[in-house]
Formats: sequence, structure tokens, C-alpha cells
Amino acid sequence: MSMHRFRPGALVALVAAVSLAGCELPPQESTQNGFRGVGMQQVYSPERLAGTAADHQVPDPLAPSSTTDSSRAGDQYQNLQVLGHLSNGEFVRTMAAMTEWVAPKTGPEAGCVYCHNPANMASDEKYTYKVAKQMLKMTHAVNSEWTGHVAQTGVTCYTCHRGNQVPEGTWFYTDENQSLRHYLDREDVRVQTDAALRSESNNLASVNQTEYTYGLMISMSSALGVNCTYCHNSRAFADWEQSPAQRLTALRGTRMVRDLNINHMLVLQDVWPEAKHAKGHLTGEGTLKPWHVDANISRGPLGDGAKLQCSTCHQGVYKPLYGQPMAKDYPGMYPAPQAAEVPMATEGDSMPTQVSLNP
Amino acid sequence: MPDYQNLWTQVQVRTAPDWGPPIKEDTWTRQFPPKISYWLGKVGDWQVGPIYLGWTGVASLIFGTLAFNIIGFNYLAQVNWNVIEFVRLLPWLSLDPPAPGYGLSIPPMAEGGWWLLAGFFLTVSVLLWWVRLFRRARAHGMGNHLPWAFASAIWLFLVLGFIRPLLMGAWGEAVPFGIFSHLDWTAAFSIRYGNLFYNPFHMLSIAFLYGSALLFAMHGATILATAKYGAEREIEQITDRGTGAERSALFWRWTMGFNATMESIHRWAWWFAVLTTLTGGIGILLTGTVVDNWYLWGQKHGLVPQYPAAWEAADPATVPERSGQLQMAPPDTFPGLPAGGAR
Repeated sequence: MSMHRFRPGALVALVAAVSLAGCELPPQESTQNGFRGVGMQQVYSPERLAGTAADHQVPDPLAPSSTTDSSRAGDQYQNLQVLGHLSNGEFVRTMAAMTEWVAPKTGPEAGCVYCHNPANMASDEKYTYKVAKQMLKMTHAVNSEWTGHVAQTGVTCYTCHRGNQVPEGTWFYTDENQSLRHYLDREDVRVQTDAALRSESNNLASVNQTEYTYGLMISMSSALGVNCTYCHNSRAFADWEQSPAQRLTALRGTRMVRDLNINHMLVLQDVWPEAKHAKGHLTGEGTLKPWHVDANISRGPLGDGAKLQCSTCHQGVYKPLYGQPMAKDYPGMYPAPQAAEVPMATEGDSMPTQVSLNP
Repeated sequence: MPDYQNLWTQVQVRTAPDWGPPIKEDTWTRQFPPKISYWLGKVGDWQVGPIYLGWTGVASLIFGTLAFNIIGFNYLAQVNWNVIEFVRLLPWLSLDPPAPGYGLSIPPMAEGGWWLLAGFFLTVSVLLWWVRLFRRARAHGMGNHLPWAFASAIWLFLVLGFIRPLLMGAWGEAVPFGIFSHLDWTAAFSIRYGNLFYNPFHMLSIAFLYGSALLFAMHGATILATAKYGAEREIEQITDRGTGAERSALFWRWTMGFNATMESIHRWAWWFAVLTTLTGGIGILLTGTVVDNWYLWGQKHGLVPQYPAAWEAADPATVPERSGQLQMAPPDTFPGLPAGGAR
């Protein structure tokens, strides 16, 4: 008789184990960033953050070049269109740093030859040379024209590349209505009506279109490792009056990404090598599937070049590399001083989640 | 070890399976000879069958199967007829309604036509099942409570997939057939119309939904708790002292000062369940047709509490647009792609 006795406790334990398998283990910490009791808070798992902290560490800066070096690299080297304003020593140091950050570590393409013809270092015959030059122009643009988003922290090649030849977290065309197109040329993200009644509005945005906005917002949310209430009061998503300042920073970010995609990424489209197996590597949203992000794919199945989105830099944290300054150690990441423009309005961004990386 | 007696039926009283009383069987007959199931006996009656399908039942099953298969084969086609991918991606697969641009016209099959057909077959199936429910209730000399309760659920189903899309002028407003996609639709619907939580009919629907769960728990627990006095045989007990029925009634009277009766508790349950979908359907029907932003509607009518500002309000006007010009003329809908699109 007892042989057949059914034990509900075991079943309850099994069901609980299966349904909780996708959850993070407690304890979680929450940070309030709005009025008490209205759910304006970020929840994160310190254990998970600690586990991924090493992925967001800034590498030690290379030994600084001589500060008394008054030479100008543009006088010494040929075909220096972007970094000519550096001193000779700083130029070589920048080249060494870029090799660390971007070039393969092993194989026939390792080191300088990833971009350069060793017989003629000034030659731009390799496509990687052309891409690198354009990417430096882009970095200069970010650090001088988009300080409203990147503040004084700035970016370097490493912010996106992290040792990969093509950064993870790029996206490609899948179909003309993909939500990530907002990062290129679509301005149809706003779907809510600013009047209560139908009779007071002619807003034709469909539920279908809202789905694209939703997808786009989730791409930002997962790129930054935050939830909706980091930028929105979710009771009234559209209302700027109730939105935290981070929403402004994010708006500047999307404008920046569009600028960079159109003026720096698309121009490289025909420079990159042909796509090989890109089609099977993409999700429906147009991003690389998790197990293909290492494949260094720079061209999509429709022939388009890699494009940026929030996660290309952020890679899962609310500030890339947790906001640790890195560009300050590399003058090559900034344009020639006289070319620098007046920074745009700076952000009033307060850090909601202080993550100590050096306990 | 303590043993809880009420998790399943402890004693199955078996007799020869019963065909039930004779009925006038001139158009249809009861089919499938009754069988004994030990395991069904654990949770219900041990006798399975016979069943009176009727032509409405048969037709409903045919249309339902058609809809089910259209949806399933569309899923299969989406994963290139790969069964393993079909199983792996099942929660994410979806048969979507036509794009909003098609309005109320009949779209190509691959662009929502299958959705329209599946929805039509499913609706026919559900309505036929309602007719069947109504006719069976009449044939058994019962009241019509079951068909009317089912009609309340059908009302919400029709509002979501048919009536509201008609009023909005596009099939694209309707719900997709998919596990996650219909949940995504719900989220997007609420966001598009400015937060459904401020829709008073949504509030009512939720109150009745949660109320239904509460009532069901109270009723189920009460009857189970007095089952050892035979409370499930309520009719025999209803007029006697000291029975399970009286104990359960007195429990609630002495706990909260008021108790339902053996009859009225079922009226409570029926109305709560029926009103869940009835009010829900009204709320959906008003959304987008009459009210376009429930948050602002709520603000207008004093529903929205104001909280002290915790930060300075963000002003998007301070952010300049610096998109720049596309460097290459867009040859088709993809900017910057070489003419001819895909390579």
C-alpha cells in the first residue's frame, strides 16, 4: 500500500524547481530612483554583476609616451589623415593600443599586418586599413560632438571591440520593418496619443507598430541591463514630465547612433568583404545569435554592412565599462584640438547603481 | 504520517457502466460505449462515455481542427518544416493578422490570409459549440446558465478578434495566434492606448477575475472542509441541523457575519465569472474606438494621483537632431543598399 503512496511534496518541489530554473538566485538589490512606493526602481543581482564584472574592466593603459616630444606624426609618416596631430611617440603608442584592442592575437593576420601591408605601411590597400581610418573618424566625432551622451568619459576602440575584430552586438537588415531601423532612419517610435479621446486625435499608430517600438525599447533595456523605469515612469511612458533624466541621455544616444550609422558605418558598406554565411547567423530582429557573436561578421545576408545599436558599446551595463574613463589616456581618440567643437548640453545623469569594481 | 483525504477521490463506487436514461434519438444517437478509467476516477467520475456529439458537435470539431491545423502548419512553414525547430521555438511562433495597411480587405494567404481563415474557422467552431451547449441544456431540461456564461467568454473573444477590428477598420488590430505573441500583443495594446490600467472596465474585469478566484477558493475549501460530514450531498443536508451544510454556513456567518446559501454561492460564482469577460469586452471595445489614451482619460476624470517630482523634468527639446544626410541615395526601402536589394 505504501508502495503506491503518492507524495505531493515531491511533485510540488519538482514543479517549483522547473518553474524557477530561469530565475536569478536571491539576494537582489533594488535602487529607488523616483518617489517612494511608485515602483520607480532598478533591481539587480550583485552576484550576477560580480560574475560579469571582469568583462567590463578597462585594460591597463600602455606606458605613456614622452610628454616633451614636440614632433608631429603627420610630418614623419605618409598618408596620415586622421592621427597626424599626434606626436611620433603617441602615434606609435596609439597604433600599439589599437592592435591590442582590435587585431587578432594569433594567426597570419595577427598584429600590424591585420591592417597594414608590411612592405608599405602607408598603403591603404587592405580593407581593414580603410575601415580603421573611418572608425577613428567616428571615435573623434563621438568624443567631440556627442559629449551630451558620452560626457567627458568618451569612447575608445575598446569600448566596442573588446579584442574582437568586429564588435559583438551589431545588427543587420532582415526586413524593412525591423524595429532596429530606428537606429538608422526611422522616426516612428512614438505611438501614444496626447489626447484622451479618439475624437480629439488622428493618431493612426497601430498595435502592430507599437510592437516595433516595444522591440526597440527592449533592445535598449537589455543593452543597458536596466528595466523600463530607468528612463520611463511606466504608468505614462510617453510623458517627459515624469521621465527620469536618463531618458534624455538615451534620446541623445539614439540620435548619436543614427548619426554614426549613417555617416560612418554605411559608407563602409562596400569596403567590407562579402557575407558568407550571415543569414543563418541572424535572429529575427537582425542581431547575431548568441553563439555567432564571435564570428566577426561585418556584412549581413542582404549585403548591408554592420550597424551600431546601444548594446554595441554598452554590452549589458548602464554605462559602457561601468563608466570607467579610458579615452583620457589616449589623445589619439580625440580629434586635433582646434577641430574640437563646443560640447553640447551635458547630461544631468546620476548613477542609480553604484557598482564597485575594485572592492 | 498524516494523510489528507481530499486531494483526490478516495473511494470509487463501481457498478456496471451506465448508458443513461433513454432519449429520443431520431436525428443523432449517443456513441462510444462507456468505459472505466481508474485515473479519471481519481479526479472525477470513473465512467468515460457515452457522448452525444450531435451535428453541431461534429461540425464544431471539424472547424476547430481546421483552425488548429492551419495555425500549426503555418508554424511549421515558418521554421522551414523542421520539426525539431518547431518544438524548440513553439512558444515564440505566431500566426499574425494582416498588416494594418490591408484594412478590412482579404490579404494574400502568406500575409495574413491564413490568419483570417483560421480565425473564421475558429469562430465558427466556437459558435457551433455554443449552439451545442444551448441545445444540450434544453434537451436535459436545464436552465440556460451554461450557454449564457459561455456566451460571455465568446463576447470577449469576438470583441478582440472581430468586432473591435471591424470598428477600427483593420484586421491588423486583432490578436495574433501564438503563445508569446498574444502576450506581446497585450503589452503593446496597453502601451498604445496609454495604459489599460486606467480603463475602468479593465479595473472591473480584474476585480471580477480576482474575485472569481477568491470565491472559488472559498467555496471549494468550504465544501472540502465539511466533506467528512457529507457536505457535498448538500441537498439532503440543507434543512437538517448539525450537517456539513449547516457547519459550512455557520462557519462563514460566525467568521464574517454573513454567509451565502447553498444556492446563492453558485449565483455569486456565476456572476463573477460572467462579469469578468463581459466588462473586459466592454473595456476592449472602447479602447481606440472611443478612448485613445486611458492615462490621459484617467487624468481628466481625477483617477490619476500626482506624486512629488523626484527629479527635474526631462525636456526633449534640448536634444538636437544630428542625423545627417544619407550618404547614398536609398534605391529601395533599405537605405544605403545597392540597387536590387538582396544579393
